[in-house]
Amino acid sequence: MAKKIKLNDFLLDIHTEPFPARFVPPALGQLQVNAAKWLEGKLDHGDIAVSGTLRHLILTVKGVAPKGNDKTERFKGPKVGAPAPALEGFARKYGLNPNQLIPEGGILYAEVHSKGEPAAAVFQAMIPELMKSLQFPKFMTWEETGFKFGRPLRAITALLGDKIVPVSIAGIKSGRGVHGHPVLAKAPAILKDPAKHSSILRQGLVIADPKERREYLLKALAQATKSTGGITDPDEELIDETVFMVEHPVPVLGKLRDAHMVLPAELLKLVMKKQLKFFPVVTKTGLLHPYFVGVRDGLSSGNELVREGYQRVLEARFNDAAFFVGRDSSTTLASKLPQLERVTYQKALGSMSQKAARVEELAVWIAARLRQISPVDEQAVARAAKLVYADLVTDVVKEFPELQGHMGGVYARKDGESEKVALAVEQFYYPVAAKSPTPATAEAAVVSLAGKLDSLAGCFAAGMIPTGSADPYALRRQALGLIRIVLEKQLPLDLDEAIAHAVSLQPVAVPDQAKLSAQLSDFVWGRAQSLFEDMKYAVDEVRSVRVGALKNFPNAFLRLAALRAVRRDPAFDALAAAFKRASNILKQVKIEDGVALERGSLRDQADFDLYDALVTAEGAANDRIVRGDFEGGLKTLVSVKPHLDQFFEKVMVMVEDESLKKQRLALLGKLVRAFRLVADLSEIQASAS
Amino acid sequence: MTFQEIVLELQDFWSKQGCAVVHPYDLEKGAGTFNPATFFGALTSAPARFAYIEPCRRPADGRYGENPNRLGKYYQFQVIMKPVPAGITDTYQKSLKAIGLDPKKHDLRWIEDDWESPTLGASGVGWEVWLDGMEITQFTYFQQMGSMPLSPVSVELTYGLERIAMYLQKKDSVYDLDYGGGLTYGDIHKPQERELSRYSFETADVALLSRHFNEWEAEGARLAGFGDPIPAYDCVVRASHLFNTLEARGAISVTERAHYIGRIRSLARKVMELYIEKNTPKEPAVSK
Repeated sequence: MAKKIKLNDFLLDIHTEPFPARFVPPALGQLQVNAAKWLEGKLDHGDIAVSGTLRHLILTVKGVAPKGNDKTERFKGPKVGAPAPALEGFARKYGLNPNQLIPEGGILYAEVHSKGEPAAAVFQAMIPELMKSLQFPKFMTWEETGFKFGRPLRAITALLGDKIVPVSIAGIKSGRGVHGHPVLAKAPAILKDPAKHSSILRQGLVIADPKERREYLLKALAQATKSTGGITDPDEELIDETVFMVEHPVPVLGKLRDAHMVLPAELLKLVMKKQLKFFPVVTKTGLLHPYFVGVRDGLSSGNELVREGYQRVLEARFNDAAFFVGRDSSTTLASKLPQLERVTYQKALGSMSQKAARVEELAVWIAARLRQISPVDEQAVARAAKLVYADLVTDVVKEFPELQGHMGGVYARKDGESEKVALAVEQFYYPVAAKSPTPATAEAAVVSLAGKLDSLAGCFAAGMIPTGSADPYALRRQALGLIRIVLEKQLPLDLDEAIAHAVSLQPVAVPDQAKLSAQLSDFVWGRAQSLFEDMKYAVDEVRSVRVGALKNFPNAFLRLAALRAVRRDPAFDALAAAFKRASNILKQVKIEDGVALERGSLRDQADFDLYDALVTAEGAANDRIVRGDFEGGLKTLVSVKPHLDQFFEKVMVMVEDESLKKQRLALLGKLVRAFRLVADLSEIQASAS
Repeated sequence: MTFQEIVLELQDFWSKQGCAVVHPYDLEKGAGTFNPATFFGALTSAPARFAYIEPCRRPADGRYGENPNRLGKYYQFQVIMKPVPAGITDTYQKSLKAIGLDPKKHDLRWIEDDWESPTLGASGVGWEVWLDGMEITQFTYFQQMGSMPLSPVSVELTYGLERIAMYLQKKDSVYDLDYGGGLTYGDIHKPQERELSRYSFETADVALLSRHFNEWEAEGARLAGFGDPIPAYDCVVRASHLFNTLEARGAISVTERAHYIGRIRSLARKVMELYIEKNTPKEPAVSK
């Protein structure tokens, strides 16, 4: 006879003093996962959900069964016929008599039946463990029991159905009080039904659900800026932070004074965002508008006063910024260079002044390497390279390290440097993120490359090589920047050579420079691989262009694209297989260098056919390849396929006749080398279809 | 509300919360935390509830009386409570109301800001409290002192009096504040700022200051040898201020700096250990 079982909802609201915004999302994630783990197998339940603010971590479990599951557990014991004391001891451990043990396959087992606990008891045991399981970036203690948590506890609301789940943690007893927004300072509301929790919080001016709070915030920001014709600067980081900095977002629109609009816009924006958590207002095209929006927490009464306060604080901060800009501008960038001697770059790698000298030398060297193939304004490169680090000693950059480079560009223009030079200084650190732009001009690109090469070579030389996920000097980002620049700016710079040169300039003793340079080249190639894979190239395709890729990276990309295009041909897999066979044969025997391939020394028709086809194709392919038409080149080479098939079918490579064998190996070697100008097809894996 | 009225209100408010209103300690110091009410108060398990105004000297922040927001000598209002009373953040909000800052009419934010004093080997977890974007209070739960975990922990509130007054009086320059008694803050402090800035940056006798630093450091260690932490602590405070002045004067290089701080810290630690040893009730001897 089935009886209808009444299911209850469970609610836990951990109310604390304000958490730092960054603490909350991870804590909520853990709350959900750890609660699910705790309940698994113990108690039947429905959905588990979390929500929260800087002052509330909230967990709800829907549809909780009134009691936990009955369980039978079996424990393995001694063998049948074991000495009596052993049997007694084992049985006692599980509260049994030896005659209650169950024999099976010569072994005795203890079987323990446990009744499912009432749901309230399960939650009562869970709450303290759950709270202890939360990992915060930093823990603290605040009361006598020494309980460790991210911030001091203020209250615990714990209800199963309409009943309190009694717990006591860090001197706080759980109850049914719900604490709304602190500025209301009213007595806590009384909760009788877990389902009403969020609406009670809402009445107390707390929007508990982060998603809802975010939407509310975005709407409020749009509303607030409507009258200005602009929008708030779309800064996801600041939005995420604000969602966990306020419980009930109330926007306050303020105005910037015209006098401040002469300061660099990036500086103004940063002051607003970083120092005051204000949203700058920008036009639809991204230009700074003379407005900002501060987001206050809670009520909108006294908004006039708050606006005045915001504007006064902003005024003081902008005055500081203006003071810094004024001080920085009182001397030129060039005249600040000697100060770099007192700034340490890395202990092993000397001062910033020494780094600057290396970067300058490297930039000039790169420009010279490119002179024949892709000339740049070498004077501008040299001048910019000299100035790139000067802004590190300016007051603005000391205050806002994020503005390095940018302020250098601003000050260079003020000093009357050419636009080419100023831009190269400004964009020296580009790309600043994986998808952000690379330097705009070839000169800026060269200087930026020099900086990255020096950082990479320096860290590798000093043994600071990233391992696993640890990359404290962000070398992966530097390497990615390096290849993105040569690729996007189409610079045919030999990176292997540039890396070796950068390594040779480092002030630390490197026992084996060639080995270290090769290691760094491999590291850079690692980034290239993931860049190509991001572009949806297959792993085997990327691998097949490895040889020589860093000697001309833009070409490596063209080779890759050519390979992919040609691979669409249904016959391609068969070609790759034949090619692999050829290169496997070559791998098995060590081909001695210097065996000159001579048509006349070959023997069979299949030999001659392959030879002739290859010579013709190679010539035609090379013509195309030098023009950058790798696809055409590869297609031409592919035309030898029937002859290669014939060759493998009709003749043996490993014949008794030693000289003929060598000739045939040389023929295959020629084939493999011809293809390698585009791709090493032996890396290609046959498609699964 | 004049500057002095703010101070009087805060004294009154915290005295009603059970704090003893002690007075500024009579030695130069960089922060209210150096007052023995806090420094020693936080160390042992004995309850501590104190409130006081404290003049602070930051020689390097002197601007010859020309910067409206920066001072080489200014005031903090400090509260220390141990054990931490329940609802201390609410009590703090009420104190703001008492000085005319109704949290309902303002934007009050709690921004993560952990505190650390390498010289005292001390650290705490807490916030800076923003009122309409302006930092008006440091709110800290002490966690460690002399590099030792504290139990029970104390909560320390430090009000930035000048900022609060500038806000309340809507003044853009600290020197224009109505101090009380018919005077402005500038009447009282501007000459000090000018001359003390000149002292800190130009005229202080480096040789004398360095000598005094060495002497007070040695004296502190000597006094600690007699088992009296209080006079030894005075030496820590003096040495610390001498260091601050030497630094403002540009007489300490980057490498020397760490060395100086290390010397003060090791003396401070000695004093703390001594104080704890002397003020922790001994376990009664077990009789046979």
